[in-house]
Amino acid sequence: MKMRSIILGYLFFCSVASAQTGKIDSSEIVTLRIDPQTARGAAVSQVFSEVEFIPLETTKESLFGNIHQLKIVDDNYVIFDYDTKAILIFSKDGKFKSKINASNIQPEKNDKNKTEFNSFTVEKENNINYIVVFAHPRAFYFDLTGKQIKKVMIKDYYKQNTSRDFKIANDSTSIRPDFKVKKGKDSTFYELGVINKTDSVGYFPYNIKRYETDEFWGSGERFYKYGVENEMFYLNYYSYNIYKVSPSKLLLAYHIIFPAANSLPNDFTTNPVYVKKRGEYFRNNPKIFYGLSNTYLVGNNLYLKMHNYGWDTGMKKALIYNLKTSELTSVQDLEPDSLSFFLPVTDASGNFYDFINNGFHMYENGYFYTNYSSLAMFTFKEQSEGKTTKYPPSLETYFKTQNKKSNPIIIKLKPKQN
Amino acid sequence: MHHLQRYLTVFLILFCFYNSGAQQANPTQVGAVKGVIRDTTHNYNLKSATVSLFKGDSTLMSYQLSNNYGEFSFKSLPLNVKMHIEISHVGYRILRKSFTIMDGKTALDLKTLIIATKENNLQDVEVRVAPITMNGDTLEFNAAAFKLDSNAVVEDLLRKIPNVTLWGDGQITVNGREVKSLLVNGKQFFGGDFKMATQNIAKNALEKVQVYRERNESNPLDSTLTVNLKLKKGKDIGYFGKIGAGYGTTKKYETDASFNMFSPKMQLGIIGASNNINKTANSIRTLTANSTFKGLNTNVEYQPDFRQSGINQPNIGGITFTYNFIEKPVYDKKSTLNANYFVQNKNNENISNAQTTTSINATDKIYDTNTSSGNTASTNQTFDSNLEFVKKNHRLNINQSMSLNNGTSNNDTQRSAFDGQNVLTSTNNTKAQNNFNNKGFNLGIRYGLSPNYMTRRAHRFSGLNANYQLSINDNDNQRSNLTTFRSFVNAAANTDYDRRYNTQRESFNQTLLLELPNLKSFLFGRKNLADFDLSLKNNLELNNNTDHNLVEDLKGSVYATNTYLSNNTKTNIVDETPELTLSKSFRKSLSNRFDKNLRIEASAKQRFIFQDNRSDKALQNINRTYNKFVPEVSINYSNYQYGEFYRSMSLSYKTNIIIPNLQQLAPLTDSTNLYNLQMGNIKLREATDKSVNFNLNHSDQTSKNTLNYNFYASAGIIDNGIVDSIFIDNQNKRTIYLTNANGNKYLNANGFLRKTFKLKTTELQLSLNGGINIAKNASYLNDVFSFSNILNTNAKLSLNYTYKDKFAAEAGQGFNTYRTEQEAFNTKYSGLNLTSSLSSIYNITKKFTLSSNISFNSSKSNSAANINFAIWNASAVYRFLKGNNAEFKFSAMDLLHQNTNIINYGGANSFTLGSQNVLQQYFMTTFSYYPRQFGKKPVKK
Repeated sequence: MKMRSIILGYLFFCSVASAQTGKIDSSEIVTLRIDPQTARGAAVSQVFSEVEFIPLETTKESLFGNIHQLKIVDDNYVIFDYDTKAILIFSKDGKFKSKINASNIQPEKNDKNKTEFNSFTVEKENNINYIVVFAHPRAFYFDLTGKQIKKVMIKDYYKQNTSRDFKIANDSTSIRPDFKVKKGKDSTFYELGVINKTDSVGYFPYNIKRYETDEFWGSGERFYKYGVENEMFYLNYYSYNIYKVSPSKLLLAYHIIFPAANSLPNDFTTNPVYVKKRGEYFRNNPKIFYGLSNTYLVGNNLYLKMHNYGWDTGMKKALIYNLKTSELTSVQDLEPDSLSFFLPVTDASGNFYDFINNGFHMYENGYFYTNYSSLAMFTFKEQSEGKTTKYPPSLETYFKTQNKKSNPIIIKLKPKQN
Repeated sequence: MHHLQRYLTVFLILFCFYNSGAQQANPTQVGAVKGVIRDTTHNYNLKSATVSLFKGDSTLMSYQLSNNYGEFSFKSLPLNVKMHIEISHVGYRILRKSFTIMDGKTALDLKTLIIATKENNLQDVEVRVAPITMNGDTLEFNAAAFKLDSNAVVEDLLRKIPNVTLWGDGQITVNGREVKSLLVNGKQFFGGDFKMATQNIAKNALEKVQVYRERNESNPLDSTLTVNLKLKKGKDIGYFGKIGAGYGTTKKYETDASFNMFSPKMQLGIIGASNNINKTANSIRTLTANSTFKGLNTNVEYQPDFRQSGINQPNIGGITFTYNFIEKPVYDKKSTLNANYFVQNKNNENISNAQTTTSINATDKIYDTNTSSGNTASTNQTFDSNLEFVKKNHRLNINQSMSLNNGTSNNDTQRSAFDGQNVLTSTNNTKAQNNFNNKGFNLGIRYGLSPNYMTRRAHRFSGLNANYQLSINDNDNQRSNLTTFRSFVNAAANTDYDRRYNTQRESFNQTLLLELPNLKSFLFGRKNLADFDLSLKNNLELNNNTDHNLVEDLKGSVYATNTYLSNNTKTNIVDETPELTLSKSFRKSLSNRFDKNLRIEASAKQRFIFQDNRSDKALQNINRTYNKFVPEVSINYSNYQYGEFYRSMSLSYKTNIIIPNLQQLAPLTDSTNLYNLQMGNIKLREATDKSVNFNLNHSDQTSKNTLNYNFYASAGIIDNGIVDSIFIDNQNKRTIYLTNANGNKYLNANGFLRKTFKLKTTELQLSLNGGINIAKNASYLNDVFSFSNILNTNAKLSLNYTYKDKFAAEAGQGFNTYRTEQEAFNTKYSGLNLTSSLSSIYNITKKFTLSSNISFNSSKSNSAANINFAIWNASAVYRFLKGNNAEFKFSAMDLLHQNTNIINYGGANSFTLGSQNVLQQYFMTTFSYYPRQFGKKPVKK
């Protein structure tokens, strides 16, 4: 819901004057039949070639809840924590560097509302990266030491910046989520726009009033960069299609068919009986996947996550599908081995929820990043007692000096390309 | 967010199991077994599989879920004993592995156990079922996997499950957490008393026991633990009951019969009982809950009450009826009708003797003796019904009850008053007869509208609560009173009365409560307003009472109207309380660490009361209005430390006003009661009670020897309290005036503490209850102002011990004290009652049971000799026939023949000692038959 107001605010300020409605290219569509319950396990070392656990330093100041948003900026981990409404900056090895929260901001004289952060974005100006946070009606710029550099009005920020855009093809093309085209008094809205220097194309037009007339159950991010230049995946609401966005076209790359018990009815988006009743439908059909997320293509491996209403730890909901061998691997069933010091690489294998809620935070420079809590880490360590005698020094120190209530751990994984 | 909540649910249930293996700490048993479960088809170790550990053939010793690595490990196991484990998981075949841990090798490693997946094709019907499975977030215990006697009931099964505790008082806990509701096929079973289901339903009719958390829709962070008993297919229809009769020495008898039928939608119970051994049930549910098939345990509820005064002969009957319009109700879709009829006819005979000592000033005491005998015969009938209807956001509850109560009582009292030198000063003998006929009707309608939690933010309107109560009463009373007063000091004061009263009272009371909670979103939309919220409440009460009193005195040989006491009055009271509450919530939580909530509420409440009294007597035509600000403040705090404990605290400040009624303002003084002349005071003002209340609750979240406690305290000061001003003359005649006085204070506190220690085959439960009551009451005695200080305490420690299902014992120690002290007169009365009790049940064979309960009672007071007596009851029960349906019972009650019920209590400036007639020793033989059938009878071929 918070997302909706951000989108609406963004739409208000950010628009282009002309664009055409694009056609979706489905000539290369690959249909995949996936029954998640048949997914098998594998040793961690069969899937990943590197595993690194990065404990984040716990001090009175750096103590935070969990990782809601994670970005790597100039070799630093920048984290947004929803519990403390703070942005925390840790160095590459997990050392605490700085914290940004509302107290870093001088209150304006006329501000009635308490300043509160809900996320952050990264903006590059003059080749320097800044952490930008929005606190209506202003945007604040901080450097990586947590020092406030400047502030601008949000509407001015949007006039100059397009940090929500994904830049591809040497910055000559922008992929813009929630693309608005203004024609005189009327505006047309698209789920995404591909903006080139010469022309702009919008895909999936929608009515801006749809958020009032219907329910939209998001399953996470809708755009995923997976390390291939000029390409990214796009996911739409209530659909099992994975689209590939490139500067020249929008390709329907994969169409996934799940078992009937997990599938939305064919007329789900068209039949008016579901309008405004979608949440109720998901509640009554807790096994049905209402959407996908975490779609990445690494070599031949297609990573994906499915989302449903029900909470059933027996359901396999994060998968790796090998496009060449059609082998299906379940992420929650990856078996810890010596590569991961016999510790699980995600907490989906236990009864914890970080991976279930967030999946991989990102795939960057050949690495996936995820995290879990110290409560999970110590539980796993207890259970794996006797399996290994040697942890790397950073983990050794962590286990010695920390406890279940310490800060979460970042897990950095290098997937194999097979 | 809903993921988070569900995570919590599962986590809470699971977290406990990971530790469950560590419970049996017994140093003499040092065996251990471990293993890894592997699914080779899917190429992984199986997590969260249920591993059940059995000893011998069928004794379930422990269970756990395989951990993240597919491993399990049991510790503290016996050596050289045949054991086996059963591993199960949804979608897999059950894997069974037998083993014995030998002396030399105490840590047995079963290594990798390969579990096979269930084939979907073929008709691969599994004959054996796993004892425990985890189905989503529901923990299920499969009845068929527990081998029990063919006559076992659900309770016997529950006792077999590790981590389930059945408490002496009927409470059930799972991993230390209290089970709040117990359902049968998703519905309440015969009124919801746990025993009705657990002690009646045959274990063989049960498919599984399901344990899950039910979310509270209005507060999603709050959830309650529910146990559902799922019956086997076709067993959801049946009947059970009891018919019994007994006869004993001194013409003691008892009979009772109950018959209960149930079907998927309907439940019907019919019950009747009659006895002359002080077994009184005040509701039909008490009776049904004490006629269960299992019946035997240490808890004493519906037993001959040796403490009741007099001899009671109750005859009781009734019908209960429940109809569920929805066969499978869920929390947001329910429609249930309940109807009950209850008739109780009671005859009571009462004889008592008591002496009261009263201080009239610092040095002087007076005494009076009171001998009274009486009998009462009354019939009560009540019919009540309740309709509950829940659909999505709407909750509607309509209940009504009708009652008829009529009867006669006769009472004969002889009172003698003595002065300080113990010289008889006066006597007063009264013969009273009373015929009463009371009718009542109550109606309650409650409606609640709450927006859906999921879409809450989409609505501005955030709910409504409305509650309407109507109560109509019609009381008719014919009373006659014959009084003879003789003074040995002043013969002129001698009086005789023969007076008849005919009083009629009609009352009509209505209450309407309206509440608009969480008004912020309605008024200000989604603005945050620094987390403040508002709610509005209005309570309106309309009371209307009409009294017709006709009093006649015998003058010569005719009864003539007493024009002073005969009267007609009408009282109307309008009591209106608008309330505006401002609240602010603070929350501090850190994922996976803790969740702390603080809520502060301040209510501005204004109470307007208009009291209008109209009477035939001019002095009673009184109009009064009261207008008072009665603010309330409360602070609620909760602290949830993941995997450690949950603690909540609340502190509140309240103001209440107590207004004087017509009888306190301007009564018509009836002179027949010479020892107790009630006078009014037209100048009485309202009293104001300001109180502070504190509540603390703690429950452990770990599974090992959990500790739960609760503490409650309330303290207050009453300004302008309505207090007695008593004048006692030298003949012990009292005239009681009322006045306002400051300085009344009170403090009440009580609490409980429970701890359980579960050993291998035995279980020890410890519970401690206690309370303290301190008060400082102002009063005048013969114009001297004085405070009485009152201190009452009570404490009970009980220890419950269960050894398998062979033996159960409860030892209890009760401790009650009273002390009153009058500052002005320097007098002090105190007393102590001690009760030690020991109840035990020993199942010698499956059919033969011995039980005994003995209590030692000791009464001490600073002004009289100690009184000690013991009551010992014992019984032997033999069950026979194939289904144990027939029961023969021999009971010996009050074996020591010591019951002489003692009267021993203290008042503000007096104490009373005495005795009364009570039930005494008898022996009785009882024969009972328990018809029962679950599922339709098989058709004979």
